[in-house]
Parts: sequence; structure tokens; C-alpha cells
Amino acid sequence: MAYLDLARVSKTFLSEGRAVEAVTPVTLGIEAGQIVTFVGPSGCGKTTLMRMVGGLETPSGGEIRLAGDLLGGPDRRRGMVFQSYAAFPWKTVAGNIAMGFRYRRDLGGAEKAEGARRLIDLVGLRGFEDSYTNRISGGMRQRVAIARTLAANPDVLLMDEPFGALDALTREHLQSQLLRINRTEEKTTIFVTHDVEEAILVAHRLVVFSARPARVLDDIDVAAILPVADRDQSIRDAPDFLALRRQVQAVLRAEQRRAERQEGDNAA
Amino acid sequence: MWVFRKPIPRQTEILLGLAGLLTFLGAWQLVAVSGWVRPQFLPTPAAVVEAFGRLFTEQDFAIDIGISVGRVWFAFLLSVLVAVPLGLAMACFRAVGAFLEPFVDFVRYLPVPALVPLLIIWFGVGEASKIAVLVMGTFFQLLLLIVDDTKRVPAEYVESGFTLGASKWQIIRDIIFPAALPSMVNNLRITLGWCWTYLIIAEIVAASSGIGHVIWSLRRFVKTPEVMAGIVAIGIIGLLTDQAFRLLHRRAFRYLER
Ligand SMILES: Nc1ncnc2c1ncn2[C@@H]1O[C@H](COP(=O)(O)OP(=O)(O)OP(=O)(O)O)[C@@H](O)[C@H]1O
Ligand SMILES: [Mg+2]
Repeated sequence: MAYLDLARVSKTFLSEGRAVEAVTPVTLGIEAGQIVTFVGPSGCGKTTLMRMVGGLETPSGGEIRLAGDLLGGPDRRRGMVFQSYAAFPWKTVAGNIAMGFRYRRDLGGAEKAEGARRLIDLVGLRGFEDSYTNRISGGMRQRVAIARTLAANPDVLLMDEPFGALDALTREHLQSQLLRINRTEEKTTIFVTHDVEEAILVAHRLVVFSARPARVLDDIDVAAILPVADRDQSIRDAPDFLALRRQVQAVLRAEQRRAERQEGDNAA
Repeated sequence: MWVFRKPIPRQTEILLGLAGLLTFLGAWQLVAVSGWVRPQFLPTPAAVVEAFGRLFTEQDFAIDIGISVGRVWFAFLLSVLVAVPLGLAMACFRAVGAFLEPFVDFVRYLPVPALVPLLIIWFGVGEASKIAVLVMGTFFQLLLLIVDDTKRVPAEYVESGFTLGASKWQIIRDIIFPAALPSMVNNLRITLGWCWTYLIIAEIVAASSGIGHVIWSLRRFVKTPEVMAGIVAIGIIGLLTDQAFRLLHRRAFRYLER
């Protein structure tokens, strides 16, 4: 069994008396330390699947196991970084990171302070410790959220379009930092994005989902094609990267066409 | 001058505020001295200021003000002390909310003046009935405002809290409460204003002290300047409290400024 193991996980929402199937049984095994990126058409169920891993949504069927343990509601083992409302505005940068340490009983005060210093350096926020989070840029705010989540030392890091609202340059910067952080922390990570290039760039492995209800369409071992060790922004020009991008985009486009056709059939 | 939805210099703001007040006073003076209305109905601003002074020298008005302020704050704090924790509980635990909401909504729509006779039967004409009127007028409104403030805390904050390992209780204390606090304080400011409305009602109906009682007893002698001075006193107290609350809000929630 894989480190993070999803076995026939499904989700059907009941909204206004109507059943909406968001995730059709998905089986997926994720190895420890890997960054797995999810791409798929908008509204296909990626967020729902990730929230089920985080314990924020209860699966309608199937089981999710982490290191063999059956997972239930949310806890410190699975940390989440949201796209918006990521940092607590009533806390400073340092205060936000302290919130990540706050509920840990495995560390003493001195260790927490030391850990906070290390994380501030890791995400490059030295000098901004005392700033409130709505006075720093959106990119810095996301780094605060990442540092706060890492402070809780989760086994799995869940990121739902964490860089979605940022400009291209800031995104590139944070993508590189995410790769670097993964090298030092070796955190198992699920990363949802709409940006195919981003999905390849930060991935050990890339999973393409179908239109709703989400089901695995393609599962690519990116690390085998583009070694993680020498991954940086320049890889965007590598022939293998471009070929991979074309492949993923082709799968997504074909899926889009299929979904539209099916919708047409259903309407007819 | 006409910057759109952007702040203007602080000085300009203060000057404009003063200009607004002076315009009002000027118009009042004009009407009062024009002879259109009899002075028994509309004394001049100066006469009201004089009456204001007389209230303090001849009537011990300061004591009445003290009594009224005391009643308002006692009832207000009592309401806050119960409404804040109860509102948090109602918003965080659906069961508590479902249990209380229909009842609270019902009571909220009862006009407080209609309750005054009943409250006097229950609590007599002493302090208790006045406090009861104020509490009836503010508590239920405040409770629902607190519930709303709490519900508006983004789910992301709460979910972040769970994934950081916080318990429900820790999330209420460390995340929901601080996240909702700025809008709660704002609602406290508004509710305190309502308290004054109900205080005057309570003091007019059954009291032998307080600003409302003073105004009401002067009315019998058609001492219009004094009646107006009493009203002005309420306005000044309200303005000062409001400003104090705003200052507290700015100081305590600096992080809201960008
Ligand atoms: N709480 C809910 N109640 C009812 N339906 C829901 C709920 N959450 C999600 N859905 C539905 O489930 C489907 C999948 O939603 P989800 O947010 O997981 O998609 P997504 O892949 O993350 O989309 P996007 O890429 O746009 O973020 C959508 O049709 C959505 O309307
Ligand atoms: Mg989503």
C-alpha cells in the first residue's frame, strides 16, 4: 500500500434535493515525499478530492489511508494552503507562523522559536516578521501560509491553486521555492492548478482528471522524464518539457470536447 | 475636493464636520430670531446654551447624567457579557442556533415600549425595571448581530485552524473570536446607541431621576430651552461615546488599515 492511499474514493453532493456526483471512484497511491499535481477541467472535482484527503469533506464511498491509518476529520497530519484567506489578518507574519506551532505538544518554547526563525528564512520573509499580512504582497502572504502550514509539521501538504491569484513572476518565484522547500522538507504534497506548465514544473507526478465526475484520465511520472534534482525555471524550454506540455494539453482538450459532446447528448 | 471613494485629508474632514454643524446652528438661529415661530416653541441656540448651564447650577443635572450613563452601561455590559458567548455558540453549533433562533426572532420583533407595563409589573418601578427595559431593547438585537458577525468568518480560517491541529474550543478562542472581533466592536457601538433610546423611554415612563425624567418634568412647565438642553446633552454624550468607540476600533485593529 502506498504512503497516502486513496481506494475507490467518491463523493456525491446533495444540493437542493439533486445529487451531484463530483468524484467518481478514484484509486490513487501517492509515495512519501512526492509532489503530485492535479489538473483537470474547471469544476471537475479536484478541490473536492483534495478536501476529502484533508478531512474537510467526508467521502461518500471508499477509504483514504495515511501510512496505513484510516483518515477521518481534519487534523495536524494534513496541512492545507488555500488560494484566498490564506493568512490570518489579525496576526503579523511571525504571529501567523506561531499559530502553526501553537497546537504542537512535541516541541518546547525554545524549539518553536528556533523553528519559526528557520521557517522565516526558508520562505524568505526575514525583515517582515512584524508586518501585518494585509500590508505585504499577495505572494508574501502565500509564503506566510506555507510557512504556517509547515510549522504544524503535517505529513501531507495540500495546496489548492495556491498561486492562482498571483502575477506570473511571483508565481515563478514561488514555484522555485516550493521545489526547494520540498527538497529540504521532503513533504508529500498534493498541488491543484489550472496552469499546465506549473503542474509539470513542480511535479514528481502529474494526474489529469476528467470532466465532472472526476476520474483519473492520465497519470504521468514527470520525475522519470524531467529529473527533480535539476529542476528550475529554465526547464520550461527543454524539449521534454514542451512535449509533456503538449501531451497534457491534448488530453485536456480531447476531454473538453468529449464533455461538451456528452452535454449536448444529454440536452437532446 | 471631490475625490471619489478615497480618503480626504484629516484636517479637511474636521473642518467640513464643523462647517456642517455651524450651518445647522445658523439656520436654527435664523428661524428663531425671524419671528416665524414663538420662542416657547423654538428658543435661540444661545437660550439653550444658557438653559444648559442652569440645568447644572440649579438642578444638579450632573447627577442625573451620571445615573443615566450608569444605567445605560450597566444594561449594555450585561447584554454584551451574555450575547457575545451565546452568539458565538449559536453560530458555531448549529444545534444551539436552531434551538434559540425562532424564539430570539420572536422577541426581537416585540416593540419594547409595549413591554414596559409588563416589565414594571414584574420588576416594580425601581432600577431593575429600567435595566430590564434596556436589556430587552438591546440584548436580542445584539445577539443576532453577533451571530451574523461570527458566521461571516471565512470558512478558510476555520479549516486552516483544524489542519493546524486546533480543537473546536481553540478555534473559537484563537480564530473565530479574533476574526469576528472588529465587526463585533462596531456592532457594540451601534447597539449602545439604541440603549439610549430605550433609556429615555424607561426614564419618562417611570423614574424619579435621570436625563429622561428631567426632560419630562421640565416639559410640564413648558421650559422649552431646558428640554432642548437635555436633548442636546444626550446628543453630546452619544457623540463622545461613539467617537471613543471609533478611536478604540482604530487603535485595536490597526491591521485593518492597508
Ligand atoms: N458543498 C458542495 N455542495 C454541492 N455541490 C458542490 C459542493 N462543492 C462542490 N460541489 C460541486 O462539485 C463539483 C466539483 O467541484 P470542485 O470545486 O471540486 O471542482 P474543481 O475541480 O476544484 O473546480 P475548479 O477547477 O473550478 O476549482 C462542482 O460541480 C461543484 O458545483
Ligand atoms: Mg477548485
